[in-house]
Amino acid sequence: MPMYQVKPISGSHIKTDLPTCMYKLPNIHAPQGNSYTSEHAIQNGEVDPAVKALEARQEEIMKKLYDLKAAVEGLAKTVTTPDADLDLTVSSSLSSQSPSSTTFNGISDLDTLLGKDLGALRDIVINANPAQPPLTLLVLHSVLCQRYRVLSTVHVHSSVTSVPPQLLSCLGPRHADSYARQMFQLGFTLIWKDVPKLQMKFSVQNMCPIEGEANVARFLFKLLSPYPSDPALATLVDSWVDTAFFQLAEGSAKERATVLRALNSALGSNPWLAGPEFSLADIACYCCVLQSGSASSTPTNVQRWIKSCENLGHFSPAKLFLQ
Amino acid sequence: MTKEEVQGATEEEQQAQSKKGLKKQQKEAEKAAKKAEKQAKLAAEQQSTEEDDFAKDRYGVSAMVQSQQKLDRVLVRVQDLTPENADQLIWLRARVHTSRAKGKQCFLVLRQQQFNVQALVAVGDRASKQMVKFAANITKESIVDVEALVRKVEQKIESCSQQDVELHIERIFVISQAEPRLPLQLEDAVRPDGEGEEEGRATVNQDTKLDNRVIDLRTTTSQAIFRLQSGVCQLFRDTLTKKGFVEIQTPKIISAASEGGANVFTVSYFKTSAYLAQSPQLYKQMCICADFDKVFCVGPVFRAEDSNTHRHLTEFVGLDIEMAFSYHYHEVIDSITDTMVQIFKGLRDNFQTEIQTVNKQYPSEPFKFLEPTLRLEYTEALAMLHEAGVEMGDEDDLSTPNEKLLGRLVKEKYDTDFYVLDKYPLAVRPFYTMPDPNNPKYSNSYDMFMRGEEILSGAQRVHDAQMLTDRAIHHQIDLEKIKAYIDSFRYGAPPHGGGGIGLERVCMLYLGLHNVRQTSMFPRDPKRLTP
Repeated sequence: MPMYQVKPISGSHIKTDLPTCMYKLPNIHAPQGNSYTSEHAIQNGEVDPAVKALEARQEEIMKKLYDLKAAVEGLAKTVTTPDADLDLTVSSSLSSQSPSSTTFNGISDLDTLLGKDLGALRDIVINANPAQPPLTLLVLHSVLCQRYRVLSTVHVHSSVTSVPPQLLSCLGPRHADSYARQMFQLGFTLIWKDVPKLQMKFSVQNMCPIEGEANVARFLFKLLSPYPSDPALATLVDSWVDTAFFQLAEGSAKERATVLRALNSALGSNPWLAGPEFSLADIACYCCVLQSGSASSTPTNVQRWIKSCENLGHFSPAKLFLQ
Repeated sequence: MTKEEVQGATEEEQQAQSKKGLKKQQKEAEKAAKKAEKQAKLAAEQQSTEEDDFAKDRYGVSAMVQSQQKLDRVLVRVQDLTPENADQLIWLRARVHTSRAKGKQCFLVLRQQQFNVQALVAVGDRASKQMVKFAANITKESIVDVEALVRKVEQKIESCSQQDVELHIERIFVISQAEPRLPLQLEDAVRPDGEGEEEGRATVNQDTKLDNRVIDLRTTTSQAIFRLQSGVCQLFRDTLTKKGFVEIQTPKIISAASEGGANVFTVSYFKTSAYLAQSPQLYKQMCICADFDKVFCVGPVFRAEDSNTHRHLTEFVGLDIEMAFSYHYHEVIDSITDTMVQIFKGLRDNFQTEIQTVNKQYPSEPFKFLEPTLRLEYTEALAMLHEAGVEMGDEDDLSTPNEKLLGRLVKEKYDTDFYVLDKYPLAVRPFYTMPDPNNPKYSNSYDMFMRGEEILSGAQRVHDAQMLTDRAIHHQIDLEKIKAYIDSFRYGAPPHGGGGIGLERVCMLYLGLHNVRQTSMFPRDPKRLTP
C-alpha cells in the first residue's frame, strides 16, 4: 500500500524562547554574610529582617501571580474571539489602557468630526419611546463614555405620564461633575417621549433630525471609529444593521428564523459579521437578538458569536435592561 | 346793527319759538293721552288674562330674599344633572344664559359657572300662555329658581355642557333681575379672535372686558382661567409643604427699598413716608438666617414700572421660595424646578377641561416640559444664539427678542417649553448674587423660562457680611441704606438661594395667552386702578 509522505510539521531545529515575564531571583539558599547576627536576633525573639524581606518578596510575587492568573482567565474567555480586547473584569493593573481604545482606534478628535464648537457643549438629543428602549444606543453610549467625557442625562417628556425606573437610570449613575456642563466633551441627552419613531437632534441650525434607531446608531458609531473605507464592506455593515432592525426586531417569527440562519452561515466563515473586525453590524444584531428573546435558541455559530460579544464587555447596559 | 334792532329781532324769535313750543306741547299731550289709553287697555287685558291664568302661582318675581324663612329645599347643581336624574322633579338655581320664545314654548339655557343645561317652558296643563310669555321676558343674566322635571333627550344638545338631559319647567321664579341692557354680551366675550371679524359678529375689546370685569369673569373662559390659577397656587403650596417648606407672611409696607431705589411705590406713613415691597426677598433671607431652613410665601408684590407691555403689572402675586442648601446651589434649582414640574403635571392631569375651555377661545399648543428640567448654561445659550446669527457680547444680558429666539431654539432641539438658564454673567445681576468660584465673570445665578419668557430670576445669595459689603461697594450702593440687610448676615448665616415667580405670568404662559391682564383678576397697570 502506498503511503503518503508528510512534511515534518515543525522545523527540525526548535528554539524555545524563554518567556520574558519570569523573574530572575538571587539564590536565597546561598549563605549570607550576616547569617550569624540574624540567628542571634532570632534568639532574642526578634524577626530576622532578611526573613521579613523574603516574606514581602514572596507576597509581591504571589500578588503578581494572582494578577497574571486573572489576566489569563480574561484572555481565556476571549480566546475564541480573534481581535477581542480584554474583558472589563480583568484587574486594573493590566488594563491600564481603556478597553475601548483597543477595539475602536482611529479618529478621536470631536472637532474634526462634529465641527468646531463655539464654547457650548455638543449635545446629542435622542427622543425615544419608552415602549421601545433603544438598546443599541445604550450600548454605544457606554462605549462613548469610555472614549470621551460624556455628560449623560435622562429626561421624561410631558407627553409620557410615567416610565419604569430602570429607564430613568439606563445611562448609569450621575457623573460627579455634572453640575458643570462645560467640563464635558459631549452631551448625551435621552428624552423618553411619545414619538412614533426614535429621533436624534444634534445641531438644529445645520442638521436635520435623524430618524430611526439604525441611523442614529450609525451616527454614534462614527464618533467612535471610522466606517470601513472599503465600499463593499461598508455596505455589508449597513445591510446587516438594516436586517437587524427591520427583520430581527420588527419581523415575524419566520423572518427572525431566516435571519438567524443567515447569521449562522455568515459567522461560519468569519469571526464577526462584517469580516475580521468587530463593527456596528455586530452591535446591532446582538442587541436585536437579545431583544427578540431568541438568544438561547440560536444555531451554533451564532451561539459562539454571542459569547464573543458578551466577552467584549460592551453590552452590559443592554443586558442589565432585559433582566 | 343797533341795540334796538337786536332786541326786536330777538323778540320775534322768541315769539316764533313759543309758537313752536305750543305746538310741541299739544302734540306731547296727545301722545300722553294715547299712551295712557294704551296702558289702560293693556292693564285691562292683563287683568282679563290674569283672571283666566290657571298657572299664576307657578311663576313670578319672588320677594327679595331677606332670609325670611329657611327652606329645606335641596337645590341640584347643574353639573350633577345626568340621565340618572331622569324623570325626577328637582329644584335648581341658575342664571338665565339665553332665552328664545317660539310660539307656545320658550327655550331657556340655564347656566351655573361653566355648566349649562337647556330648559323648556311649554303651554300645557302645567304652564299657561302667560307663564311662557313671562319666561321669555326674563332678562339675560337674571338669577332664577326653577322647579323642573329632568328628561332624557334623544339627540344630544350640542350647545350645552349637559348634553343628555333637558329640564321641563313647572315653576319659575326670578330671584334677582339683571338690567335688560348688558354692557357686554357673554357670547361675544368668549368668541375667538378673528372669528368675529369673518362673520361680522361682535367681539369685545379688552378694556371693555376689564371695565366690566364682573360680567367678563362669568364667561367660561374666565372661569377656567381662574380655576386653573387657583390650582397653580394649591399645587405650589402642596408641593412645597410636602418638601418640608414653611409658609411665611412678610410685611408689604417697608422702610427702605429692597432692590436699589427705582421702581418702588412711595406711600405716606404718618409723618414720614414708606415703600411698598418690591419683593419679599429681604424677609425670606432673614427667615433663613433665623433657621427656618426652607420657606415660601405667596403674596402681592408691587413694582412702580411705567411699562405698558403685555407682561408687566404694577401689582401682582409673587410665589417666592428661599432655602438653605448643603453644598451646591443646584440643590435650590432642583427644588424649584421640581416644584414647577409638579405644578405642570398637576395641571396636565387635573385641569384638562379648563385647559380645553381656554383653548377654545385662545388656541395654543399644549405646554410641554421635561422631568427633570433641562438646565443649560449661559455660554451655551450664547453659542446657540451665535449659531443662529445673533451677535452679542459675552457679558451682555439677554434682550427680550433674544430670549424669545432662544426659547424657540431650545424648543426645537429639546421640545420643552420650560428650562433653566444657569450661570449668568455677574455684571448683569444684583449685588447680592454669589460670584462663580471658578470664573469671576460669571455668577451662581439662574433664570427660568416658560415659552421663551422669563418667569423666575434667582441666585445663590451672598451670605457673608464682608463679601456683601465688598459687592455693594463695587456696585456703588450707599452702604447706609442697606445696613439692616448686611447686618442680618453678621450672626452666622447658612448658604442659601431662592427665587420668585409671578403667578399671573405662569398662568398666562402655561395657557399660551398673550396678555397678563387676562390672568389677573383685577389687574393693576400704569393706566388702570379700577375696578
